[in-house]
Amino acid sequence: MTMNLEQFKEKLLMYGADIRCWPKDIRSSGLKALYSSPELQKLVEDEERFERVLNTRRYEEPSRDLAGRIVAGALPKKKKAQRNLGVFFSEVLSEFSLSRRTFAAVSVSLIFTLIVGFTIGYSNLSGYTSAEQYETHLEDFLNYEGDVL
Amino acid sequence: MDTKLLNLDNESLICRIKEGNHDAFATLVNRHSNRFYRIAYRLVSSKDDAEDIVQEAFLKLWDRPNLWNPGKGAKFTTWFYRVVINLCFDHRKKKKLINLPEDIEFSDENPGPDVLYDVHQKQALLDRFIHELPERQQLALNLCFYEGLSNYEAAQIIGVKVKALQSLVMRAKTTLKYNVKRFLGGG
Repeated sequence: MTMNLEQFKEKLLMYGADIRCWPKDIRSSGLKALYSSPELQKLVEDEERFERVLNTRRYEEPSRDLAGRIVAGALPKKKKAQRNLGVFFSEVLSEFSLSRRTFAAVSVSLIFTLIVGFTIGYSNLSGYTSAEQYETHLEDFLNYEGDVL
Repeated sequence: MDTKLLNLDNESLICRIKEGNHDAFATLVNRHSNRFYRIAYRLVSSKDDAEDIVQEAFLKLWDRPNLWNPGKGAKFTTWFYRVVINLCFDHRKKKKLINLPEDIEFSDENPGPDVLYDVHQKQALLDRFIHELPERQQLALNLCFYEGLSNYEAAQIIGVKVKALQSLVMRAKTTLKYNVKRFLGGG
């Protein structure tokens, strides 16, 4: 199969200036066309120059410890992800050497105390103090001369 | 580390990772971190940002290895390229980077190829030309020219047919060639 100028230009853009790296099925026809045409040789030279410019693009190598950092970052993260409320309570149990039954009893009594506390707190209307009373107290305080030390 | 892991392919390593095998994860990271760093660097033009992106991608994989589904037919590397590329584009949207240094603005309408830029400026200009290409053309150029992937693999990563990928490469190179000739005098 012979390759005309347009086809050659297209393949040049697609596969690059090194024709030996073109796909096998078009490589030999590409080389054949190249050797027979000074115009195509000029095109290849232009493409090589262009690729040299592209290869001047800035690039920085990664840090040597990049992989190590990623691997190290994964271990604590997984452990952290496994922490949940159940793990926390089981740690508390083992910390204080409490049996499950004792732990449950302590929890229930704490909850009960909280409920009773809130109920008393909200229902204690006798503790209400009017603004007038506060004002009076303030007046007393301001007029109080007190003991002289 | 278990030396047997070194002989396992990526897909088998992922199966171990799903079981919480940290050594399998380490093997996968050692095998691929540089490759994925390269594409990340090409897309964000910053060493620190590229390293952060690759780290984020791998840690996502460690936390949720089931995200990769071999049943869908994509190779691990193809899928992971997509993960990294998506993170890069998200990062770029957030950062709105790729600003030229102040001294490399196009003050003249056409400075011509005879204008001498120093190496640093030339590199910055080239980077700018590449980043100004449409996203898919950038990807095609980076994957095929800079990473040397086959057209088929690059097409799979971008999610287009091979013909479309080739068209992306050609358009990217044609635009770049024009700009390079115009401003850098090469090509």
